[in-house]
Amino acid sequence: MIRPEQPEASRLSILALTAPVAMGYVPLGSVFGFLFVQAGAEWWLAVLASLCVYAGAAQFMMIPMLAAGLPVGAIALATLIVNLRHVFYGLSLLERMPRQRLLRWYLIFALTDETYSLLTSLPKTVSHRQMAGIALLNQGWWLLGTLLGALIGASAKVPLVGLDFALAALFAVLTVEQWRARRDAFPIWVALLAYGIAQWLAPPHALLIAIVLSILVGLWRKPESAKLSGEAKP
Amino acid sequence: MSDNLYIITVLLAMALVTFALRALPFLAAQWLGKHPWVARLGRFLPLAIMTLLLLHAVHGAAGEHAAGPWPELAAVAVVVLLQLKSRNPLLSILAGTGLYVLIRNFALI
Repeated sequence: MIRPEQPEASRLSILALTAPVAMGYVPLGSVFGFLFVQAGAEWWLAVLASLCVYAGAAQFMMIPMLAAGLPVGAIALATLIVNLRHVFYGLSLLERMPRQRLLRWYLIFALTDETYSLLTSLPKTVSHRQMAGIALLNQGWWLLGTLLGALIGASAKVPLVGLDFALAALFAVLTVEQWRARRDAFPIWVALLAYGIAQWLAPPHALLIAIVLSILVGLWRKPESAKLSGEAKP
Repeated sequence: MSDNLYIITVLLAMALVTFALRALPFLAAQWLGKHPWVARLGRFLPLAIMTLLLLHAVHGAAGEHAAGPWPELAAVAVVVLLQLKSRNPLLSILAGTGLYVLIRNFALI
């Protein structure tokens, strides 16, 4: 998706690569900022949340909890449950992360669903600086949305519903590209089955349960040796 | 919800928990080392998780209206087909999202 031969072209394509994330993050971030301010908090606290927490679902979840004045420990525990899936994201990025400390720790901090999706789909030629650039741009979109929503959300009306479907479309594109990289549809079938089971078991935690089920299958399944030998180590 | 100190404390606690979760595999890397499980998961997980994120997003979007999931399925089908043919992410995403916005705003829903 990225052609990093020329610095000019690569900067452009990093922007293009994060464009679908922007289409999801700016509207979603502004909804968060709007709701947060509506619940009675000051606008800069919404920006602070997107700056230091930076986890979409958990940020939405905390609004009613903050409004209800729940203890800090309870909200921290809820955050742990909602964000538990992020524990598994690093597993597939261990070898691709930069050694350089600042870049490394920022990338780890900024490992949201969308950034993880983009980073795991990049070709091996993409530099560490470009990886960090993508992560930084994504958080920039989220902050921009939060700020817009918190400042002018009350007066602005979104004329169209469904614009945040760009995030689902992004996941669809990345699913296609991940499949193209290995031509192995098995993980797709496992994911479909796992999600069905998880929705049946406990809809509020469907995503986390489905990820855990998929990991169990992934650990149990031995990779075919033919595919192993054809693979180059980074 | 006017107590700024309370909110800031909550935000810091949430930030700490989230960051710890994201950092855990990297801190545990030296123990995990070159364990075959990690390599196995590295090959299997990205596609599985991407599919799950897609399913979850589609499920969430379909829950916002009462017409059944056909607008989502149609839009995802367009994205997948375009991406398979064109390999142009921006085109696929714009076309799929455009179709979805059209259906949701101007069609039967």
